[in-house]
Amino acid sequence: MIATKILIIDDEFQITRVLKQSLIAHRYDVRTSADGESGIELYRDFRPDLVITDLSMPGIDGIEVCKAIRAESSVPIIVLSVKGEERTKVEALDAGADDYITKPFGMNELLARVRAALRRQPSNEAESIIEAGDFVLNHGEHQISFRGSDLHLTPKEFDLLAFLIQNQGRVLTHRALLGKVWGGNYTEQTEYLRVFIGNIRKKIEPDPSDPRYILTEPWVGYRFDPGQKDL
Amino acid sequence: MVVLAASTFFGSRAGLAASVFCILSFNFFFLPPYYTFNIAGTENWVAFGAFLITALVSGQLSGYALRQAHESEQRRLEIERLYKELSEAFEQASEAEALRRSEKLKSSLLDAVTHDLRTPLTSIKAAVTTMLTPSNEFQINDPSAIDLLKIVDEETDRLNYSVEKLVGIAKVEAGAIERLSHPTSVEEIVSNVVGRASKLLAEREITIDVTSDLPNVFVDPIAISEALYTVLDNAAKYSKPPGKIKLTARPTGEGSVMLSVQDQGIGIAKELRERVFEKFYRAGIGGGRFFPGLGLGLAFARGLVESQGGKIFLADPESEYSTNFVLTLPTEV
Repeated sequence: MIATKILIIDDEFQITRVLKQSLIAHRYDVRTSADGESGIELYRDFRPDLVITDLSMPGIDGIEVCKAIRAESSVPIIVLSVKGEERTKVEALDAGADDYITKPFGMNELLARVRAALRRQPSNEAESIIEAGDFVLNHGEHQISFRGSDLHLTPKEFDLLAFLIQNQGRVLTHRALLGKVWGGNYTEQTEYLRVFIGNIRKKIEPDPSDPRYILTEPWVGYRFDPGQKDL
Repeated sequence: MVVLAASTFFGSRAGLAASVFCILSFNFFFLPPYYTFNIAGTENWVAFGAFLITALVSGQLSGYALRQAHESEQRRLEIERLYKELSEAFEQASEAEALRRSEKLKSSLLDAVTHDLRTPLTSIKAAVTTMLTPSNEFQINDPSAIDLLKIVDEETDRLNYSVEKLVGIAKVEAGAIERLSHPTSVEEIVSNVVGRASKLLAEREITIDVTSDLPNVFVDPIAISEALYTVLDNAAKYSKPPGKIKLTARPTGEGSVMLSVQDQGIGIAKELRERVFEKFYRAGIGGGRFFPGLGLGLAFARGLVESQGGKIFLADPESEYSTNFVLTLPTEV
């Protein structure tokens, strides 16, 4: 079996060093880069299955790295941020990053994010049927079934849940969700989103106050975990 | 000459008077018949007329010149005043610039220090947790080695916690926390903070009483959540399980929402109610000993709340409780 390839971009040598050793110990094929520019170049050369990039780097920063890579492929990207960089984090997610992790982090946490990001199949919106854990999305029939039975959703709820299913495992920002479901003029109306997410949760969550499928990423957005099939 | 002098120094009216006076004296002294005001003969009339016109014109001209001079003097004063105002404005602007630069310097210094503290913590944390995570390539099985690694891991977390608090307080002091007036739901703040604090509050009996239909507050939700978390952390730290903790949210009716956190812990004497918000102030537990910590949490919380236009203070608790922290948050921009 060919090892999964991971590219790490961070200007801090000690961090790339420790991440490299750690990921190699978990049998990943790892390459590292110390700045955004050479990181993008190495990306083209190495063709990794996943990219981990720091956000604040001199020269080309993490956001630009996300944009550049996203322009070429849908490879999963995890950004490393620090506390207090909330806005930059959201910007990175809007620029195409899939997930983020806040420094300092435990390796278990990073490994779990890496596995989740790799599990995510680059989804194709044209694909008519998507199976995701407990959910089956049938685009042609405009129907989502949950554990074998069809869900009764309003058109907006359908759009929202379908978008979440298509992007399972990714952190979707409020802006991305609002823009997709309500259109560009509504990207600041997070209260709409809260209400609709609340309604969908009532229909699918065993305990809507402690959700397991639609997870809240405080002040950032939501993440959809389809359930089951977990390692 | 008299006419010119008069109109130059005293304006055209004085010039006119001087002209008339000159004409009369010219008539009296120089035109025949001498020493009377009568004019005899046509040529004398012509001479008189010419003199009159000359006197009037020169008077008018010099009067005009004086007015011009006066106006230009006014303009000069005006320009001087403007210049003064401008230079004052420049002075103020450069002071503001200097202030802004020092703020910028402070915050970039802060960023550098934060970065230099956080980066090694990140590498240590990643390294030690890798050693603690069994992997394909290596495993550490010696229980005492595992125990030692766990100490490194826990102490890294503790150090990181202190760094976060220090950085936080430094940011507050540098004025680096912006007022971000986003309309934010109080319920969302409360549910996020309580979710995050669930471990902290695990053995406490927590009551959450948030009125429905609370107005939105105009604050940075992240800053306020951090402050509220600090207050809950404080409540858990100074009270023993299974003590009760009660969190309430109510509109005040005065353009704000009031959040209150009450606990059944050791309480705070009335005279110390302001002091607990001072930096490095820590509650004593007798015998000159203190609760662990740097004593920065509440100072940080106050800085955060105030940066968002709110207030945080200690109020009288309900009878069942011993401490009551109150946060008021503005419902307007």
